[in-house]
Amino acid sequence: MFNSSQSNQTSQFKPVMQSPLHPFGLAAKQEKVNGTKGVWANEVPLLGYISLRGNVQNAAFINAVNSALGISLPTQPCSMLDSSFGSILWLSTDEWLLICPREQRATLQKLLETALQGIHSQVFDNSGGFTSVILQGKNASDVLHHCTVYDLSALQAGKVVGTTFGKVSLFLQQDKNGYRLVFRRSFADYIWRYLERSALPYGFGIAQLNDER
Amino acid sequence: MSDNRMNNRIKHPHSKVNLNKPLSFTFDGKSYQGFAGDTLASALLANGVKVVARSFKYGRPRGIIGAGAEEPNALVQIDTGARTTPDLKATQVELYEGLVAGRTSGWPSLAFDLKSVGGKFSRFMPAGFYYKTFKAPVKMWPIYENIIRRAAGYGKSPIEADTETYDHQHHHVDLLVVGGGATGLLAALLAGRSGVKVLLVDDQSELGGYLLSMPNVKIGGLTAQNWSANIIAELASLPNVTILTRTTAFALHDMNMIQAVELLQDHLPHSARNATQRRERMHRIRATKVVLAAGAFERPLVFGNNDLPGIMTASALTTYINRYGVACGKNAVIMTSNDLAYQGAVDLAAAGVKVTIVDTREHINPEWANRTNKLGIKVYSGYGVSEAIGTSAVQGVKLVKLGALKNIVTGSGPDISCDVLASSGGLSPTVHLFCHDGGRPKWDEARLAFVVSANGRAKDGIFCVGAITGVFALQEGLAKTRITLAEVLTDLDKTIDDSGLALETDEIAVTPARHIFHVPDGKDVHGTIFTRPKAFVDFQNDVAVSDIQLAVRENYRSIEHIKRYTALGFGTDQGKLSNVNGFAIAAEALGKTIPEVGTTTYRPAYTPVSFGALAGAHVGITFEPRRYTAMQATHEAYGAEFEDVGQWIRPWYFAKPGEDIHAAVNRECLATRNSVGMLDASTLGKIDIRGKDVREFLNRIYANAWTQLAVGKCRYGLMLDEAGMVMDDGVTACITDTHFLMTTTSGGAARVMTWLEKWHQTEWPELEVYMTSVTDHWTTAALVGPKSRDVLAKLCTDIDLSKDAFKFMDWRDGTVAGVPARVFRISFSGELAYEVNVDASYGNYVWNELMKAGKEFDITPYGTETMHVLRAEKGFIIVGQDTDGSVTPFDLDMAWAVGMKKPYSFLGKRSLARSDTSRTDRKQLVGLLPEDPNVVLKEGAQLINSSDITPPVPMLGHVTSSYYSAFLGRSIAMGFVIDGIKRRDEEGRNIVYAWAEGKAVKVKIVSSVFVDAEGARHNV
Amino acid sequence: MFVIRCPHCCEVREEEEFSYSGEAFVARPSAPEIESDENWGDYLFMKRNVKGWHWEMWGHSSGCRKFFVVKRNTANHSIGGAWSLTEARKEYDAEEANA
Repeated sequence: MFNSSQSNQTSQFKPVMQSPLHPFGLAAKQEKVNGTKGVWANEVPLLGYISLRGNVQNAAFINAVNSALGISLPTQPCSMLDSSFGSILWLSTDEWLLICPREQRATLQKLLETALQGIHSQVFDNSGGFTSVILQGKNASDVLHHCTVYDLSALQAGKVVGTTFGKVSLFLQQDKNGYRLVFRRSFADYIWRYLERSALPYGFGIAQLNDER
Repeated sequence: MSDNRMNNRIKHPHSKVNLNKPLSFTFDGKSYQGFAGDTLASALLANGVKVVARSFKYGRPRGIIGAGAEEPNALVQIDTGARTTPDLKATQVELYEGLVAGRTSGWPSLAFDLKSVGGKFSRFMPAGFYYKTFKAPVKMWPIYENIIRRAAGYGKSPIEADTETYDHQHHHVDLLVVGGGATGLLAALLAGRSGVKVLLVDDQSELGGYLLSMPNVKIGGLTAQNWSANIIAELASLPNVTILTRTTAFALHDMNMIQAVELLQDHLPHSARNATQRRERMHRIRATKVVLAAGAFERPLVFGNNDLPGIMTASALTTYINRYGVACGKNAVIMTSNDLAYQGAVDLAAAGVKVTIVDTREHINPEWANRTNKLGIKVYSGYGVSEAIGTSAVQGVKLVKLGALKNIVTGSGPDISCDVLASSGGLSPTVHLFCHDGGRPKWDEARLAFVVSANGRAKDGIFCVGAITGVFALQEGLAKTRITLAEVLTDLDKTIDDSGLALETDEIAVTPARHIFHVPDGKDVHGTIFTRPKAFVDFQNDVAVSDIQLAVRENYRSIEHIKRYTALGFGTDQGKLSNVNGFAIAAEALGKTIPEVGTTTYRPAYTPVSFGALAGAHVGITFEPRRYTAMQATHEAYGAEFEDVGQWIRPWYFAKPGEDIHAAVNRECLATRNSVGMLDASTLGKIDIRGKDVREFLNRIYANAWTQLAVGKCRYGLMLDEAGMVMDDGVTACITDTHFLMTTTSGGAARVMTWLEKWHQTEWPELEVYMTSVTDHWTTAALVGPKSRDVLAKLCTDIDLSKDAFKFMDWRDGTVAGVPARVFRISFSGELAYEVNVDASYGNYVWNELMKAGKEFDITPYGTETMHVLRAEKGFIIVGQDTDGSVTPFDLDMAWAVGMKKPYSFLGKRSLARSDTSRTDRKQLVGLLPEDPNVVLKEGAQLINSSDITPPVPMLGHVTSSYYSAFLGRSIAMGFVIDGIKRRDEEGRNIVYAWAEGKAVKVKIVSSVFVDAEGARHNV
Repeated sequence: MFVIRCPHCCEVREEEEFSYSGEAFVARPSAPEIESDENWGDYLFMKRNVKGWHWEMWGHSSGCRKFFVVKRNTANHSIGGAWSLTEARKEYDAEEANA
């Protein structure tokens, strides 16, 4: 009886998603990146985030993940991989974060859960809990050096590091035009304001999002 | 009007001051003119201003002594209002148009200081004066302190909020060079050429260090100015080299973490300052290698009345003439124990100043004798200045003939008139940074200085070049810098490239200095207290030779104790000029050598650092992380007042117009108990735990048992630390047999996550579990009250909400307002309640849909205050409020939440049987009812046995939670009482008194469940 | 303000990324119930508090969240090494055996 009413129910509601940085109204402020500002940033909102944990010593786990995702799970410390669905970030020796377009999240989760049936692992849809910010411009590194203790000269492409940002932590990776910051929803306000403040001397613009994901 | 003031400015070919750019400024209320390139000190000296301060203890008039960070006297108040900064050194303040400078001492004025009256009786204010004089009666100390503080001076802190901003910047470099003088520039260049990442910091506005003060010296055939200009240009062309000027490295910490503060705007006129730029920036520099090229300060010789305005160091006198084009007088006497003062003397004479040299040595350097002779400079060799003459400025000197071998007076000398007197006692290397992290300088008797060696801390990656190593001659310093850099670069797997760098100079070879610090006056030590002029060692703290001698007579033996008794080397200059003289004078009084006495400890900060720079971005809105839930904007729009819960910002209560917190909370409580309320519970920590051993893991982590919890069910858990004390609590749900969802307190989430990981990683790696923090993923709306089911039913049709299908402590997956949701039927209020969890992206949407659905029931959002009242009415604890890390489950009367029969000895179990935790007279949590139902007890009030508060009063415990319960129409409270549970049940023993703010209130010990003890309200 | 090489991230990182987590190799008694109050108290509260080389546990709290072992000199903050829990055990046992 409950299943039958479900279709009626979804039609009467119009669920709306809001990203963590929604209150800043970034979409309305974005502009094409130009030379007037030293730093450009924007939130890449509402991506899919899947937390994955498992044992790399366990061949069954590795094989299951690799075949489900069609990739080779990055096991090198601080490495990440871009793939057709998005990217997969090494967070720890037994922990990864998959980042993908929202609409692919359910499929990926299902694929992983199916493949990992009976294998000690953890797959969790953490999409409500994270967001990403891109950071570009000629002073992007300068701004980050005000915010993090990490030595950015050690952050090459294909690398992701967990480090500090102000008084909180986040994941930092190099992006094609600069950097990408991945962090928890509840820290969004603090991180964004800290970024805005740190970027003030260089000029801070909201970058137009292209097909960022 | 400044025309009739004395003008000491001369046209100097090498001066860095731009005479075409006049700047007006004020000092102590009077207007003056200086020029671009001046410091406040050079501009004041150019205007003939001699008295710039009054001394700390005796109120004696004081003038400018130095030319940089070593200045002890010229502390000034710069700017006004929010921008005002006290105690800057005039020698470091760059002049700008409109600069307003004030004195920081002199009460009531610079011209007349009340203390100077006392100064006439200075024999009554010897070392230890304050300790000895103002020690009794104790009650008088605040009054003494007020008067002493006011009289002592020192500037005023700004009382308005800072309008400017500061930040921090992190650097990771291969090589940091501290100091941009000749050797620092060379070090940076040699390193820069090798391609390593180099950072060069220098505290001045312009690179060059002391080369700026000795423009006539030639290096590789070039003038010093051209030589450094070439190097600076090449450094600028190297992309791997960064140069920071106006940047003082003030601390060196573990593994070469150097902190430096950069002044970015203080040198600019207000109109040119940029609101988007920082005022100061603190650099935190992690360097693989450090080259310290910090140079040295010249120390003055110590003699009678040596604090008269117009007396300075010889290097300062030289710097003012050569760098700023300021002759500090028309008739100069320069006393020296070494060759270093001669270049300045010659430069001064060449600029038209009458110069007399008093050299303490019998024999002077023949080459300098030759040059001074040519310029008509009279040199008294083998003489010393025993006393300066003058009242508010130096007017002359008394010379004495010194013994050839011993520092004694062997004869009298002439009195010479002068309007400026300079002295050089040799150089004191700036070894501070070298010593911050455990390094120690060594006494070099030949150089008469505490020095460090080039590779003194090479194993730490710290190298030293230039004057800091005791190498005071330029050519030798440059040559040795080259050798040291070759070593540094080898360590960095690089080779040195010194092509095109000529390092030979045209300096005159140096002859030995005389070992003298304090010029004797030949007077009998005793019986001359009234007539003998004071000879100051530390100007900022008014420490005289006699004070150090007194400290030794009073049996202070360690230099660290002598320092603290006399105040030698304290203050904003940290004894840069005075310390070595003080050590030497103490050594003489102690009958020891200088190395036997040693130095005091060099600690950060090298120079004062502003609070703004230390705080950086950690102010205002970015002071601390402020974590928000997805509904923040909605809460704000609904009129929420917020409170901090850990880093979370949570609605505290939602006041309607005209309501105070009490009215709002009473309304929220009643609405929830009578109809329906809603709480944003998203901040609760949530940890997803999976694996075949989850139950065993939870059995070990929690005090209670988890083996039997069925899928679809929830259970409350109490988490103990190993000492058996309650550390967290929360409800955990069994999702599947191998999948649980744990909730924690809002403030404890991160701690619990780390706790679980630590035990799993370190003690129980064999347990197959994985944990992931999912706190941020879920938005949790707690729908609470008898109408909560009706509200939820409007939005959720795929979960059977009926009483028996979805029981208390069950959870169900379903859809709420079209969004996938996990609903828990749990209650922190004793009411029928559902906690609706959805993906936080939908959190705000679902919250608003719930509000709409609840409108017909007058749904009332409530905050943490109402949550606290509702739970206290049920006697539910809040970890961290009703517990404090010293409370066991038994103390809370919660034995029901402890599974003592579990096979594994869960965390904290053994400790519950320790003699201390199992004793019967521990404090226990009980309910408290004030006799007067309108009296709300103070949280924290002491609980005592009687209203009589005549000491001693045995303290039984304290109130932990206290509220007015609108539902009960009276006040309620919880608190700890020794043996409280037994006393509760014994008529006659169940009365205590809560004492706070001078009042004792009669209170009855009762059960802490004030509402619905049988649980009928949630069981519907 | 020192740096530590995280044995799991395999990088040298600033101290700010890490959290101190107490003395390493404090073994939890396998059967706490049979321990005397004194032994249990020693386990809970009696730490070595050495001046000199100290084996201690750190967590890479801003990074991989792994706990590992650092050998640190408490007198001068120099660091003798950092190892994963299992690697550190070997180092520690070898050192104890030589002591």
